[in-house]
Amino acid sequence: MKRARGGGDEEAPRQNGSAGRRKGEQQQSDGDDGAGAFGPADLQDDDNDPGLRREIRSKYRDLINSVQQNREDMLSPSNNKLTEVLEEANKLFKDVRQAREAALDAQLLVVATDLGKEKASQLFAEGTAFDPTAFAEHLLSFMGLNRLEDGEDDQQNGGAVDGYLPQDAWHRVARRAECCFRTSPSFHYMMGSFHAEPPPPKQRIERQRKAPSKEAKRMMPTQLKKMESSHQEATEKEVERILGYLKSYYQDDPTSPISYFEFVIDPSSFSRTVENIFHMSFLIRDGLARMYLDNDKLPCIAPVEEGEVEAGGSCSRKQCIVAISPKIWKELIEAFDIRDTMIHPPSTQNE
Amino acid sequence: MTQRKRLSHTQSSSQSRRQSGSLVAQEEDDDTTFTQPSTSQVQRGLEKLTPAQVDQKTAEVVQYFLVKDQKKIPVRRADLVKHVVKEYRNIYPEIIKRAARTFDQVFGLKLVEIDPKSHMYILINKLEAAEGVSPINSPTNPKMGLLFVILSVIFMKGGVVRENLIWNTLKKLRVDHGEKHEEFGDVKKVVTDEFVRQRYLEYARIPHTEPIEHEFRWGQRAELEVSKAKILEFMGQLHEQDPQTWSQQYREAHSVPNSSQPSTSSQR
Repeated sequence: MKRARGGGDEEAPRQNGSAGRRKGEQQQSDGDDGAGAFGPADLQDDDNDPGLRREIRSKYRDLINSVQQNREDMLSPSNNKLTEVLEEANKLFKDVRQAREAALDAQLLVVATDLGKEKASQLFAEGTAFDPTAFAEHLLSFMGLNRLEDGEDDQQNGGAVDGYLPQDAWHRVARRAECCFRTSPSFHYMMGSFHAEPPPPKQRIERQRKAPSKEAKRMMPTQLKKMESSHQEATEKEVERILGYLKSYYQDDPTSPISYFEFVIDPSSFSRTVENIFHMSFLIRDGLARMYLDNDKLPCIAPVEEGEVEAGGSCSRKQCIVAISPKIWKELIEAFDIRDTMIHPPSTQNE
Repeated sequence: MTQRKRLSHTQSSSQSRRQSGSLVAQEEDDDTTFTQPSTSQVQRGLEKLTPAQVDQKTAEVVQYFLVKDQKKIPVRRADLVKHVVKEYRNIYPEIIKRAARTFDQVFGLKLVEIDPKSHMYILINKLEAAEGVSPINSPTNPKMGLLFVILSVIFMKGGVVRENLIWNTLKKLRVDHGEKHEEFGDVKKVVTDEFVRQRYLEYARIPHTEPIEHEFRWGQRAELEVSKAKILEFMGQLHEQDPQTWSQQYREAHSVPNSSQPSTSSQR
């Protein structure tokens, strides 16, 4: 039976399974069988002989390995090694009886077909073939390889071209390759990134801050003094003025009591009424005036004689809170028929 | 909205891609929380805001992009909305439009959505690089040299290569992916992780391989940024051959003028 050469036609004559067995032409595959005559009984023996099975499988595996290991060798168009492998496989196939061997056969087929495809693609390439080895050689020269003259070191490199490459070998290639690329130039900050170094600047800042704070403190007391004195003066003045009013009214008529309400209320201004009450309270606090209830249980005030002033300690302290609202203020004005203020407002208004 | 699973390596771009498994764990798709507002919604949103406010937000978006661009990792729309746009999300299309205009007119950069499904943006240069070696003496990044080598091999080999081819080629250049390189460090990580995240490369698993193997393809960023014609030109110089001798690659590099490929002539 003729077998077609090359990669493509192996499918047709090869059939897997029992149909592939050629009962007529039993060829010796390796000549190891030893038996002379053939008969149905011998066929049965061959089927089940484990030694033979193992041998066939081993041979298949050898073939597969040889294809995989010597791949580049087999690809070379200068030899027919692939065809030889296929013919070898064809021979082996005749003795295939069991599924395990057939599976190996199929595996070999895959590997061989793959190789065949690659060989075919080589055929289709028109023009000059491209040889990567030659390319590498030329590139090494381009990179500036300094080939050493004596060939003693060749064996060490295991066949690689001897010599040493300059430091910038790959930079040379990169420079030459630049014009083939349309890479966008990368963005980088011109002065690089900033370095964060917090500790030194912080110390400087602290020292500077300490100096101004001292000066600020010095400023504060003088200002406060001024403020307090102005407040105190104003109040004191008012209080004294009211005391003057009180005394003068009392001296006019020492017998008739002065109604508290009539004294403090200013019918034209609620706020001044409140101020009068406020200043009045100072007078009472300081013991310069006294408040008492008359027969009608209405509050009256009178200045305290100088002789009567006692140290506040012996007197029992009395406290009361005076509250007034505009409504009450109006009611008082009506009730007491207050038409005019007894305490005239200060001539110089500070507000 | 249906939950979209994103295989970060195999993006369905305009070219048909084989659906292969992805090594990197699938990133969470926060996009489902953001729906693109309609034009009428945008209009209404704009009416409620002063021009100064919209300008301010646009400027913030521009600045965000510029800083993110330092690492060359694409910007996700979900991140942009969450961190910058925030309550202005109802006028998002308008903001993006204005930001793109700013990039175009002020910086000469192009804002491109490289993945319309998962909405990722990158910035590329609108201006063509100077002919030959750049006169500006800016510092070069050796990783770009490494990337250039890998992209060249992939292109010259038809667009897909098995990873072993790349590793073997690099080994010949004294770059071993199993060892630490003095310039690149962990080479495997740079190639299979960094370049992939930047979308310069795609690193996809080949099915049915035992042990697991992967293949490399150009990533979406490479398709937009890298000029195949210029790579071919360099190849010609290296091998001292006319670029047209590689006829298939030459055709691919100079085909389809309206594709995303950068052209050799400078355009405005």
